[in-house]
Amino acid sequence: MKFADRIQKVDRRIIYVILLLAVVLPLVFRLGFKTYTTTPVEDLYRHIDAAAGRDDMSILMDFTHDPGVLPELYPMDLAILRHCFERNIKVFTISFLPQGAAIIQMALSEVKEDYPNIEANVDYCNFGFKPWSLKLPIMLGMGDDIAEAVETNSEGLKLENLPIMQNMKNYDNIQVVVEISGSSMGQFWVTYARAKFGVDVAVGLTAVMAADVYPFLQTGQFIGSLGGLKGAAEYEQLVDIFAMNGEEFSKKKARNMSWVEAQYKELPELAQLYKYSKARIGMDAQAIVHVLIIIFIILGNIGYFLDKREQKKNM
Amino acid sequence: MTETIGIWIAAFLTLCMFSFLYKDNPFYKFAEHLFVGVSMGYYIPYTYYNAFIPYAYEPLFLKKEYILIIPFIIGFLYWFRFSSKYSWVSRYPIAFSMGMVGMGVPMNMHANVLVQMRTMMLPLNSINIILIFVGTISILLYFFFSKAHKGVYGKFTSIGVWFMMVGFGASFGYTVMARISLLIGRIQFLLGDWLGLIK
Repeated sequence: MKFADRIQKVDRRIIYVILLLAVVLPLVFRLGFKTYTTTPVEDLYRHIDAAAGRDDMSILMDFTHDPGVLPELYPMDLAILRHCFERNIKVFTISFLPQGAAIIQMALSEVKEDYPNIEANVDYCNFGFKPWSLKLPIMLGMGDDIAEAVETNSEGLKLENLPIMQNMKNYDNIQVVVEISGSSMGQFWVTYARAKFGVDVAVGLTAVMAADVYPFLQTGQFIGSLGGLKGAAEYEQLVDIFAMNGEEFSKKKARNMSWVEAQYKELPELAQLYKYSKARIGMDAQAIVHVLIIIFIILGNIGYFLDKREQKKNM
Repeated sequence: MTETIGIWIAAFLTLCMFSFLYKDNPFYKFAEHLFVGVSMGYYIPYTYYNAFIPYAYEPLFLKKEYILIIPFIIGFLYWFRFSSKYSWVSRYPIAFSMGMVGMGVPMNMHANVLVQMRTMMLPLNSINIILIFVGTISILLYFFFSKAHKGVYGKFTSIGVWFMMVGFGASFGYTVMARISLLIGRIQFLLGDWLGLIK
């Protein structure tokens, strides 16, 4: 069999094995590729960070995703929560999907175990699961009164009686709504909450949807976005180099790789935990696989054109 | 102990799913059917206890908020879908839902059309805005089929094709990244949580 035929007829299982090795090896033997941050991620970080230390400002995280997309979105959940707990930013969490409510619990307990001083209903409040059919009434109601629209937290306690709600009334007290979504791309929040009340909206999305967000970023309808594992890795890095080291955000510093590397040398032990760098480690494997796929595409095309030339010769 | 059992079950089911890459087999079928069953099994009681009980049963029957009878009845009409004779009754709640969609039309127009169009009406003072302008116009003209795509007009619309190809390429690249990310997540679970090779 000729070379052209051979590369056209490679058994798919061989490709799977090569792909598996390309994923496993970088995860076991860490390569430590650099992560370059991008504007949409930096904008979201800066926006959330602006609420640091304020009792009258919070962020709202809407967990619109199920376990099927956890590898991409869960590192975002952890990174944003860690940012908030580290910088004393009030957080509300909500999910309109039953599976999302369980993910909120998992993410909160995972980050909270490293922040023993953070208290439920004081520093953060989990609104829990609310039925999808109530999304619109709750979203619109929050424009007038959050406590009245949401009513209770995940434990069934009335919001109006909770300490965190003392200075929180409506969207004026929400710095940004971040929808971490496996499918809906924050459209509800943009269409209703932003259009009617002017609240800032950002999204964390699976990479499949990331390209669709750019028109909305350009018009400012989304103030920032995290696209897939890459977006999560960037946010992890920003939390590491700024929040964990007590540094104020600076775009210039974020893009200065020698400064970034120096920050990593001084990183507290807490920030070095595997769970807080899963996305960045995953991106090592991602980079190798991308190179591999490019090689496969080139080889496939070489095979195709050689085959075509052979056919022309034989005609 | 329960966590360890959970990790072993998850690892076994992950390997069952991956076995499909070799070829279809009973392990894959078992895991696939189990997934569908567990998803539904989780969803139904969770919705019952977290949606029906707190938002319908408790306010209506325990707190005596009788105004809720109206939406309760409207919602109940959906069940007529299961009767071949009275299925027409279920059209009423559907009509009600459609009315809700109508409420969103002005806001949808604002967010998805008007604000988005605004960027097309900016002064062409940067390369990005010029690119967006040329891309949008050429793609719109490409989908205008009342004029033959020939001559200068045809050449201009072919620029639209190039813009679309770049867009499809970006989407495909992101899709590859998404799928590989899912694989990475599973491998991280197998190597980390299950085998303890990465910490």
